[in-house]
Amino acid sequence: MAFHRQNPLMSLRPATTPPSRADIALLAFANGAEWAARDLFAVAAGLAAFSDEEKSVLVGFHDHHRAAAQSLAGLIGSDAPNVREDAVYNAFRSRLSGSDKSAIYDALRELENTLAATHTSLVGALDGTAGSALVASIITIQARQSAVLALVAERSLNDALTNDSVALTPGATS
Amino acid sequence: MNRYSRRQVLRFGGVGVAGVVLAACGKQANVPESENVVSVGVTPSKVTLPNVEVNDIVLLRTAASLEYNAIDTYDAAIGLGVFNGAFMPAGEIAKRLRDDHKGHADAINGLINKLGGEPFTCGNPRINEVYLSPALELITDEANENPALDVVVLAHALENLAAQTYQGVVTMLSDKSLRQAAITIGQDEARHAAVLAQAINPGLGGILPSVNPDTGKPNIAAVPGAFGPLTPINVTVGPVAADGSRTSLNLETPSLNSLIYAGVTCG
Repeated sequence: MAFHRQNPLMSLRPATTPPSRADIALLAFANGAEWAARDLFAVAAGLAAFSDEEKSVLVGFHDHHRAAAQSLAGLIGSDAPNVREDAVYNAFRSRLSGSDKSAIYDALRELENTLAATHTSLVGALDGTAGSALVASIITIQARQSAVLALVAERSLNDALTNDSVALTPGATS
Repeated sequence: MNRYSRRQVLRFGGVGVAGVVLAACGKQANVPESENVVSVGVTPSKVTLPNVEVNDIVLLRTAASLEYNAIDTYDAAIGLGVFNGAFMPAGEIAKRLRDDHKGHADAINGLINKLGGEPFTCGNPRINEVYLSPALELITDEANENPALDVVVLAHALENLAAQTYQGVVTMLSDKSLRQAAITIGQDEARHAAVLAQAINPGLGGILPSVNPDTGKPNIAAVPGAFGPLTPINVTVGPVAADGSRTSLNLETPSLNSLIYAGVTCG
């Protein structure tokens, strides 16, 4: 085996391929789901139960979902719905109230896990690698956010490390 | 007093130089010949490098090798006996993460088997050579004041490396189902990294990116940004030098010189 100069893996990556027509529908769904997550974190960050320091973390996660939605929109252009997926929003909205912070963190963790599972299934369906690369970079962050939400809620290590959520199916929720 | 003309000096000097050159070219007693030292009239044999292909099997074998790097590192860390006192919980986390990596390695090698490839069941030799061995040597240096913390810092870096590798190969794998399998494991590694980041820099202040006001350097963050990075991972470990500095290593995801090609074996 030849040993060459050390190059990062990125330099090996072939040119990414653009989204196919089928990809656009999947990425549009992901765009709507990310806007829903953005709105749900905005709701959580507005609750009186949380301290300013806790709210700053929730706002940070809110911003990450907004960035994900915007990047997905940037990839598919005018095909992006750029509005939240109401089915996702409505599935979690009722759990974001009251003063039980751990219960709210649990709901947000489930949201993150659901999005991570959904995006993971998309990576297995997308034809173009530009889409799968972007979605993969979103997944690793949402997995981290899920783990952190388990820790701040003082859940078990296993809760932080596992994702039992079921992926959403595009079209089935709207 | 002898006087030599300019012509005589040049003549003698030329003879001397020629003698030295001839002596250097000739064989010497008790000195083994090397193909690397070319002599006049001797042509080194041509070494042909094998053609290697970066395909799905190679990428998966490389991923498997990183899993074994992680397993070996956690085993070494646990074996150091540094997870005592306040670091006892880190020891329990290390055992759990090591077991997760064993599961990942089995899953990846199962995929390699299905593709007709040869499973890879040991650590990546290049990653060991350039990153892990030097890091462990620094950590176990007698002058190092906090080996337990450094072990966790190294493990955190290694988990980030694994997460980045799986994220990075998504665009390189030709099969969509393999991309999904890769990022499924990649998100596990990202969770590992987040948990270890919280062990190093705990609490709400350690979740999002921040800067150490004393050093001006970024603190370790559980969630480093809106998108998973693919940048080199800086890790600082080992004893403090006389000038107050510590050794930093930059970990990068496997590349051409560290992929586990078809011909690479654990032997």
